[in-house]
Order: sequence, then C-alpha cells, then structure tokens
Amino acid sequence: MREITFTEAAREALSDAMAADPTIFVVGEGVGERGGNFNTTTGLYKRYGPMRVCDTPICERGFIGLCTGAAMAGARPVVDFMFIDFILDGFGEMVNQVAKMQYMSSGRLSMPVVLRGCVGIGGAAATHHSGNYYPVFAHLPGFRVALPATPYDAKGLFKTALEGDDPVLFLEHKSILNHRGPVPETPYAIPFGRAEVRREGGDITVVALANMVPITWKLCDRLAAEGISVELIDPRTVAPLDMDTIQESVHKTGRLLIVDEAFGPCGIGAEIAAQVQSMAFDDLDAPVSRLNGAHVPTPYSAPLEAACLPQPETVSQAIRDLMEE
Amino acid sequence: MPTEIVMPRLGWTMEEGTLVEWLKQNGDRIESGDIIFTVESDKAINEIESFDSGTLYIPPDAPQPGDTLPIGAILGYLLGPGEAPPEEAHATPAVGQETEAGPREPAGSRTRKDRPRGRNRRSAISPRALRLAEELDVDWNTIQGSGRNGRIVERDVRAAVPAQSGKGTEGTVRRTIARRLTESHTGTAPVTLATEADATDFVALRAELDIPLLTYNDLFVKVTALALADHPDLNASWQDGSVRRHEEIHIGIAVDTHAGLLVPVITHARARDLPDLARETSDLVQKARQGDLGPEQLQGGTFTVTNLGAYGIDAFTPIINLPQCAILGVGRIVAKPAVYQGRIVPRDMVALSLTFDHRVVDGGPAARFLDTIRRHVERPELWYVR
Repeated sequence: MREITFTEAAREALSDAMAADPTIFVVGEGVGERGGNFNTTTGLYKRYGPMRVCDTPICERGFIGLCTGAAMAGARPVVDFMFIDFILDGFGEMVNQVAKMQYMSSGRLSMPVVLRGCVGIGGAAATHHSGNYYPVFAHLPGFRVALPATPYDAKGLFKTALEGDDPVLFLEHKSILNHRGPVPETPYAIPFGRAEVRREGGDITVVALANMVPITWKLCDRLAAEGISVELIDPRTVAPLDMDTIQESVHKTGRLLIVDEAFGPCGIGAEIAAQVQSMAFDDLDAPVSRLNGAHVPTPYSAPLEAACLPQPETVSQAIRDLMEE
Repeated sequence: MPTEIVMPRLGWTMEEGTLVEWLKQNGDRIESGDIIFTVESDKAINEIESFDSGTLYIPPDAPQPGDTLPIGAILGYLLGPGEAPPEEAHATPAVGQETEAGPREPAGSRTRKDRPRGRNRRSAISPRALRLAEELDVDWNTIQGSGRNGRIVERDVRAAVPAQSGKGTEGTVRRTIARRLTESHTGTAPVTLATEADATDFVALRAELDIPLLTYNDLFVKVTALALADHPDLNASWQDGSVRRHEEIHIGIAVDTHAGLLVPVITHARARDLPDLARETSDLVQKARQGDLGPEQLQGGTFTVTNLGAYGIDAFTPIINLPQCAILGVGRIVAKPAVYQGRIVPRDMVALSLTFDHRVVDGGPAARFLDTIRRHVERPELWYVR
C-alpha cells in the first residue's frame, strides 16, 4: 500500500468529502491560497475555490459564530484553527452555542461543525502555540474529540467527523504531521469510540494518546527484551472514550499506565483511572499510574520544553516502575 | 478496643504454633516488654513479649496450653483501664477447621527474636492478588510480597501456588522434605562411614527362606535392628540440648513415591519375626505409594534405613533424618571378584554407608555399630537359627 503523511491523509479525507458534499466548506486564517499554516488545505483552494475554502480575518469568535449559523441553516462547516490555542478566543461561542444548540432546539437543529487544529508541545513554539486542551472539550457535554495518532486513522476519523451531525474537535499533534504510513486511496470511515490495540501484551496496559502512541510503540520491543510485555492501547477518540477495550486489557494485565503529553490534573488519565478503579478494582494488581507533561506553561527554551515532555526514557522508566509496584 | 493477643508468626513459613504455657495469670497487669506466654514452633520454644500494656483477659473458651493453633488465632486480650472484655467470645477452632476471622498478623505481641520494624503492620495485598489467592485457595498471609513496600501482587500468589497446592498431597510433602533436610544439613555434624560386606550367604538365606514378600531390605532392617540393640548409642536423638536414648527400636524405611520421599516407620522392628516384618514393610510401602499413610505411620522412628540397591547404586552418603542420629545407606548387591578363603572368587558384595551425627555419637561407637551390621550380613548364622 502507498505511504503518505498524516497531513496528506487528513487532507485527502477532507477533499474527498468536499467533492462528494457541496455543503462542506472550510474557514480559517490562511487556509485559502496559502493552503493553511500546516498544509491542511494545500491545493483545496485551487480545486474548490474561495467560496468553499475561505480565508478569514483574525476574529475567532466571529467565524465560529458564522459557522454556527451556517450549520443551523444546513451547511457543514470546517473551522481550521491552525494552532488549537486560538480556539480559546471563540470558547464562549463554542461552549454556549455549538455544544448546546442541539439540546436547546430539542434536536430540531443539528450542529455538524468540525473544529480542527494542531495540538501539542514541540518545536519551541512557546506557550501560546503548544496547547493540548482536549481534556477541556472532553469534559463538556456535546463535543466529540478525535485524537488520531497515525495517517491511517487521520483519514478514517476525519471522514467520520465530516459525516456526523455533532460538533467534532479533530486534533492533530504537530509532532506527527510528517509521519508516513500506509493509507488506502479509497475513502473509509473509522467509528468514534473504538480504541485500537496497537500491540498485544500480558504484563502491563499502556494507554497512550496522540504522539505518545508512536513514542511508546517504539519502546515495546526493547521492553519485551527486558521481559516486560506491554499492551499498548490507542483510544483514538477521547470523547467518546472506549473504556471497554481498556478494561478488557486491565483484566488481562492488572496494571495500567496512561501516557499523555497533556497536563495531568483533571485530564484524560485521571478520567480513565477513576473509571478503571470503579469498574475493575479487583483486576488491579497495582495502583493506576499516569505520566503527563509538566503542569506548567510551556517554556520557549527548547531544553526546558523537552524537560516538560514525556520522553522515551521517561516512558520506559514509568513502565518499569509500575512493574515494580 | 481491647488489644488482641494472637498466635504470632515466628518466621515466614510458620503456619501454626502450639501454645505452651501462659507466664501470666488471667487478670494480671501486663506492662509493655513483659513476657506473657510461650509458643512452640518447629523445634524451638519462643518467649512472647507484649508490646502493649493492659490487664490480661483470657476468655473461658480461649485456647488451652497444648493446643496447636493457626497464626492469628486469638489467645486472649489486653484490656485498658475500665475496659470491658469483648462481648463475643472468640472461640478459636483447632488447626484443620476453618477460622472465621482467618489468619492474621499478630497484633499485640511479638517475639524478642523476630521483631519487625513497624508495629501492627499488616501485609498489603493488591485486589487482583487477593482475588487470585481466594480462587486458588492460597493463604496469602504466609507470602512475602515483591511489590512496593512489600505489597503482595499477582506474581507472588502465582509463585506460592506450587508450595501450597493441595494441602496433604504433593506440595506439602515437598515442603516438608525441604524443611527437614535443610534442618538436617545445616543443623547436624554428619560423618559418613563406608564398608563393603560379603553378602553371599545373605543372598543364599533369602533364597532358602522363601518367605512371601521378603525383600533384601527387610533383611537389612532386621540386622540393623539387631545391631541397634547391641549399640544403643546409635538408637538416640539430640533433643533440647541433650542426648536422648530410646528404649524401643522403630526403624524408618525410605520410600520413593510420586509425591516425594516418605519414611514410614516399622515399629518394634527387632521384635518382629521375618514374615511379620515382610508383611508390615510391604503394607507400608504400598500405602506410601498410594498416599494412604496416616501421620502416626510417619512418626516415632529412631533410626532409618535407605536402600538404593534396586537402582544400581553402589554407595552413597545418606542424610540424617532428624531428630534421629544416624541413617544406614544400602547399595546394590553385585557379584565381584573377592578374596575368599585365600582365593579370588566371585562373591555377592554390598556397600554399606552409615551417616551419623557426631554431636550425638562419636566415631568409635558408630564404626563398631557398622561393623556389627557387616558381620550380620556376612554371617547370617550369627542371628538366624535355621
């Protein structure tokens, strides 16, 4: 099978959907002729024109509001935030309108808005361009939150996001945008709420999110040589969260580590830990453990930035430590 | 809350202990540091010190001195000032019955020798390990945990399964063998003497007698019993710091079984005639292989004979079966060129090895004992009247 990058795979899903559905349009800063800050729309302006690939001024709350109205009127907007940090400027509109509109209208209005943006720490992007924020959106009722980790999943999950009638946050980690992987040319959809077991193992369950998936994946062989058999789970979406797959794995291994670059407090790992101890207490052979990015504003300095992130060595050590528990 | 006084654990493998005696009376004032009772475990009697203070209360239905009890069994209580005795009397069933409360760590008492760092510390166990222990019927109180701070985790329970599987069958036998032989290996001063006996007439005697079930081993047991009567120094054990000679001669015979080595005991071996000895031995060996031996048939031996002749072994150094002081190893009977009446002729020869505990008996008496056996093997007419 051909191999393409994560960004190319997501863009292919978007282009395929736009070709099939004329109600889909994209708004964002620099998404038009420039093709997006992260090449998310490269070539689409030429193919679909300025009406459907529409550059906006720097006014997040304004264009989120515009897309909310368009969705209520039957269109299927895609908002490209570039860095997801900029979504915060439209937060009120998102939480109070986008997330609640279907409920407020007793289901008479649907809200098929895809809110996409790049998340994650890396490349000395400093604290205004290093946000993750998915725990915030997973916390709120009304949003679906996709967090693909491979090119294959980027294409399949994006198709599902574009076809649904609910608001979806489609979040792409900056560090994996250029990762290449096998991606079929024909369109396919990956349902939300279905975790993928990236590697089967018997000693310890590691739930990794976004770019922590490939980082942990690469460690598995070396850990196996040390005698630690890791089962690596990639939830792929954090809202909905596939707890069944995680619990099934914990039933097998008895040990659970959540590796997530995002801040620890009130995060996805905290949610998984709470659910596992509640539903699978007797399966646990050790306390549920988390490895997160440092709970600080992300430093600009590259060495300090690196110190804030789970690194391959720290992930390995967290796995070994949990085996010692 | 009254402080429970329980049967303490005096070592990781201890599962039960015998309450020997109370050193304090019901109602006595106990101060922290007082020795309040003694417990017998394995071979030692331990004085148990109280780490709490209070008034000793021994319920009327409490275990009595002499009772053997599981670890954690409640023996009594320490009551604080004005504190009433617990409402429910904690009758503790004897070993073998189920205890409702289950075994527990000793709470109010510790031995002087084996004092853990923390007080009242209980082993922690993960929920998963606890569930598994219940499924597999493993007593996790006897497991040392490998997790953080000694927490018992799944791997510890799994590792304990072979040791604890099927109480009274293979696992227990193996454990008992391991414990007893370790004690023997580390706790005695063993010396092995070897000699070779001309068993030609011995072989001829067995053929001549034609007694049903009679084996060479029975004949060796017989001559050993006769020799022990002549050398009572060897029919003895080391107990509580002194030599104890036994009046009766009860000979254990080592039997190889699927479950492991068992040593059933032929009581009054010297007094039995050969047909009786043969029947008894055959019965014991069969029961040993079927796992049907009662505890009384495995206890009380004063000497042991172990015979590897059937496996083609020439000679070996047996290990003493404590608390006995010596063991005879018998090798195979094999025809060899031997000097007999001034000529080299084929003779049936057998190697005899005697391992004895030099703490109990010296080399001279042991050598004389082995020489007596050798002469009885070489000249059956000395002891068997046709």
